Amino acid sequence: MDNAAYRHSISIGNNNVYSNNVTNSHNNTVNVKNIIADENPEIMKWLSPLDSRGRHHDVRTDRMDGVGNWLLETSEFREWRSYEGGADKAVLFCSGNPGVGKTYLR
Amino acid sequence: MIDDLCDGPSEEGIAIAMFYCDFRDQREQTATNIVGAILKQLVVRGEVLEHVQEAFKKAKKEVGGRGLRLPDMVQMLKQAIATLPRVFICIDALDECIPQHLLGLLVSLEDSLHESPGTRIFLTGRPQVHTEIEKRFTGSVIVPISPKVHDIERYLEKKLEMDTESDAMSDTLRADILRVIPQKISGMCVAESLVLISFIILH
Repeated sequence: MDNAAYRHSISIGNNNVYSNNVTNSHNNTVNVKNIIADENPEIMKWLSPLDSRGRHHDVRTDRMDGVGNWLLETSEFREWRSYEGGADKAVLFCSGNPGVGKTYLR
Repeated sequence: MIDDLCDGPSEEGIAIAMFYCDFRDQREQTATNIVGAILKQLVVRGEVLEHVQEAFKKAKKEVGGRGLRLPDMVQMLKQAIATLPRVFICIDALDECIPQHLLGLLVSLEDSLHESPGTRIFLTGRPQVHTEIEKRFTGSVIVPISPKVHDIERYLEKKLEMDTESDAMSDTLRADILRVIPQKISGMCVAESLVLISFIILH
């Protein structure tokens, strides 16, 4: 499994590949194009010792479908996502006290 | 949210990078390492982007293999972003970073954003980091997050379904839980309320 590391980065777009990854592996990747297994662990380690994959997997596993969906319906989120606001609206900040569910927003 | 971005309409050339700040890893989560972790997610497309490969080879040749500095990292990030029409960068729990690292991170993001209109940044954090974000990103949009009754109800229903001691549950108790808790919770912090819920369910 290790050489499948870092595959998670990449582009949105191929939902079939995406669902395969989710169901049959702990790559737990966000989304993936079907790319060649990573040949560059050394470069990856050089870039940063930190890795988001494990944490994303935990969040994904713990979160519940439907919870936090309201955010996706807000005009703020839609504008941000669709680039309607232009470069000025490039940053969306969700602010809340600890434990309100920011991490698990969907 | 990240999954939603991924599930969106297929489009070539969109990339997503994410990072979860965590106070338990504060020492290692420096601005350089965080930008590096983001960069890692944007540079592999079949193979690592050439400019990163070259920088790596060059660094290796230097005696002692000099570590990366933040400006080098930001420069590589900008180059990686420039190869993609649309990039979404999502960073969770900014307040869990040490202030000095947070500042370095925000300045780096600001810098990267300047030259790339195709980049969108999604940040979460406690309200106290708001001022710092506004300072760096004028025009940033703030969405206050508070627990929603609907979310709490849904959470409760799921937890009740998963109750391993379902014999101890009666319809009346179940109905009471679903009626009373979401009402009581409004205005309360969810972390506290989830502890309360777990307590009720487990005992």
